[in-house]
Amino acid sequence: MRYAAAIAARRASSAALSPSADRDPSCDCEPCAARAAHGAGVGLNRRNFLFSGVAACGGLLIGVGVPGRARATGGTYRITAWVSVGTDETVTILSGSQEMGQGIYSALAQIVAEELRVDWPQVQVGPAPLAAVFDNPLLGAQTTAGSSSVRGYFSALLEAGAIARQMLIEAGAAAMGVKPKACVAAGGKVVVKATGQSVTFGSVAAAASQLKPPKKATLYSNSGFVLVGQPVPRPELPAKVNGTAVYGSDVVVPGMLYGAVLLCPTRGGTVATMGPAPSGSQAVNLGTGIAAVANAGPNGTTWTAMQAVKQVKVTWSLPADAAQQTSKIILSEAETLLVSGNAIVAETVGDVASAQAGAAKVLTLTYILPYVPHTTLETPNCTARVTARTCEIWASTQAPAGAQAVAASITGLKPQAITVNCMQMGGGLGRKLEQDFVAYAVIASKALGVPVQLVFPREQDFTQDQYRPMAVCRVTVGLDKSGRIVSWDFRNVSPSILYQRGYIVDGQLDDQATEGATGLPYALPNRLMDWVRHPATVPVGFWRSVGNSINAFACESAVDEAALASRTDPLAYRQGLLAGNARALAVLNQAAALGGWGVTRQGYANGLAYHEQFGTLAAVVVTITETSGVIQVLNVACAVDCGMVVNPDTAAQQIEGGIVQGLTSALWSQILFKNGIAQTSNFDNYRMMRMADMPTVEVSLLQTPGAPLGGLGEVGVPCMAPALANAWAKLTGKRLRTLPLFPKG
Amino acid sequence: MASLTVNGQTYQIQSDPSTPVLWLIRDVIGLKGTKYGCGISVCGACTILVGGTPQRSCQITMADINGAPVTTIEGLSADSSHPLQQAWIAHQVPQCGFCQSGQILRATQLIANGKIPSDADINVTMNNICVCGTYTRMRAAIHSAAGG
Ligand code: FES
Ligand code: FES
Repeated sequence: MRYAAAIAARRASSAALSPSADRDPSCDCEPCAARAAHGAGVGLNRRNFLFSGVAACGGLLIGVGVPGRARATGGTYRITAWVSVGTDETVTILSGSQEMGQGIYSALAQIVAEELRVDWPQVQVGPAPLAAVFDNPLLGAQTTAGSSSVRGYFSALLEAGAIARQMLIEAGAAAMGVKPKACVAAGGKVVVKATGQSVTFGSVAAAASQLKPPKKATLYSNSGFVLVGQPVPRPELPAKVNGTAVYGSDVVVPGMLYGAVLLCPTRGGTVATMGPAPSGSQAVNLGTGIAAVANAGPNGTTWTAMQAVKQVKVTWSLPADAAQQTSKIILSEAETLLVSGNAIVAETVGDVASAQAGAAKVLTLTYILPYVPHTTLETPNCTARVTARTCEIWASTQAPAGAQAVAASITGLKPQAITVNCMQMGGGLGRKLEQDFVAYAVIASKALGVPVQLVFPREQDFTQDQYRPMAVCRVTVGLDKSGRIVSWDFRNVSPSILYQRGYIVDGQLDDQATEGATGLPYALPNRLMDWVRHPATVPVGFWRSVGNSINAFACESAVDEAALASRTDPLAYRQGLLAGNARALAVLNQAAALGGWGVTRQGYANGLAYHEQFGTLAAVVVTITETSGVIQVLNVACAVDCGMVVNPDTAAQQIEGGIVQGLTSALWSQILFKNGIAQTSNFDNYRMMRMADMPTVEVSLLQTPGAPLGGLGEVGVPCMAPALANAWAKLTGKRLRTLPLFPKG
Repeated sequence: MASLTVNGQTYQIQSDPSTPVLWLIRDVIGLKGTKYGCGISVCGACTILVGGTPQRSCQITMADINGAPVTTIEGLSADSSHPLQQAWIAHQVPQCGFCQSGQILRATQLIANGKIPSDADINVTMNNICVCGTYTRMRAAIHSAAGG
């Protein structure tokens, strides 16, 4: 498997891909394929998916204008791969990124519509089919990850819109008997500049679709944006308030049977023996677990399958290291590795050792983080229809090409024979980059010879996740007499997402583990950042913001501790560390102003954190209070600068959502393991933010004209844990260096 | 055979009587707007109205409903015109949207009979999980749907 596209997203701006990462699966038998799929994550084989002969995606087209808009009989004409125009003036724009809640259907379509010059209510959006033309240029794949959609597609989509518009103008000009140069596009029409005479796009769509696309795109937006920057409404929301939105788990395929999975409770285990299914259902061996599929009829429901799967007698082959996969043991191993492990240097600047030797004071600060699950509200699921010649998949997936590759390896079919229908996701969060759920549905459909919809019961989602890695981070900070940081030594010990997938070998750096701890914006003249790989085999994966949310907790807690040790206000301290960095200071100061920094009130405290990731700057100020030891978060103020904002409303939504996920995970989230078995299995023993827990939230979006575009999907998360810990320390005098901050809820 | 009335239509149900209403609605009747989130009556994704009152449908059976009419998100209005649906759009509440059928149905209780809910009322009643974290917007949308 080639390097994961998500990783490419994260690395695109800095490091080159390592050629040694290529790895071909050697065995295609079903259990092996399933295991490979499980480990493969977002891995995908470009050789397998460059071919673009896949029919149109099955996802619904969604428009802002009128829900369920009746289509005119005249038809729809494909102008370019990205743009089709209907004789009813509907303009269909395809999205290369998948909609999982982040509002990407509006952001990407807005960029195309900007150059097309159509009115937003004319626009409908749907998922692009799997084809190279739709690859995110930043990733080289059609994967939705790494806060990369707008950054990756921006220029390509401006050009795509302009090319389609030029073709419509050419057709419209011909229809009106004038030269294209005499015309402009506006409001979905081709308009003769001199006379105002016009024809609609719909009326010339058929003719435009016959034209050759121009070689060169002429961008209207060179003289300023019209639609980009506007808070246009999300096209897919009407369907989300009336129950008509179709998620992966809502797909109904003729003849389809409902199924549920039950995987080996001990991670890494496999099926040794499988007994018969209870009457009314069939059982399938998935290698790492089993599925039960309910027979057709009045009891042919997901629920029947969920009950049946628990009644199948299974014996398991357990991995030899199962007993080691216990949270306490994993943590103590990490503490040993912190001292004696083989550390790989990610970044070194100046001379840390001698600076530390000359420091007036040295703080040694150790932070501990647990495994954290994704818990997307829609549990992983996939529908597959495998025949001798074809395989069709309906999946809520962040990585459709990966799904295709996995299905190809299980079925032995060529990728061209495999259609992936990209369904909207009831949350992605990194969980739906994985291909385990796709593999299981394909195996089940192939085994039973019927279309199967396989769902993870919530208990399986919790216990069979690929978690945010646990970590132990130690920050050793040397301060001079005046309290300035003279040395900064940051070590992260954590299991490696990349190593577990075979993307790196022992001794190589996992830069997913170190992101957010290198390239810090602070003036740290002598600094060292290194990483020790923890060999724990509990599966780890990409969790919204990945290494950033781990390292920002350690980094921003440590900066606060250094500020307190030098009796300096944490805001002033950071201002000093960011001196001369106008953009960073603007973000920091905006959050401070918004969050009421410096306003002291008895019984209340503020906490601050600053973090940069994906080219975006973010600062958070939280306000908290406490009643008999229980924290109450009253307000969160967040300032963000991602360069330019395409849709301020969806941008704010992403930050708001990231804040909530950051709060839940910082305050309460962890999964503990005992002998390889996850100890939490549903929301009844896993606390999440609910309405009554909610602080007020204020988001301020700053823009820096001309700055490179930054990502937004993940940046709300990382500042939350350190801001809360910093506020708690200020309020109570107690420094919490272990997440979750309040494990008892 | 028992009958189940959903959104004004009556269905004859032959399924095992222990089947939770959630799955009758989703997999037998085929209305997919009601969602599965936890199956243990904790998340609220499966919320429906039973005789006008919000209930979590993943742990109730036909017997629990006892013939009362059920309304799902598809039946809340014919054309998305319910004040909550309108407010949800005006405030651009949903992100992934998976919890939103349940959230909207849950919120109906707050504005029923012209009630104007306080923030405290909203805190108590709106206890469904939204993993995407749309709480602030839901609160604002409920206030505007109530005209408050
Ligand atoms: S699915 Fe019923 S409460 Fe969660
Ligand atoms: S909108 Fe995604 S869970 Fe609520």
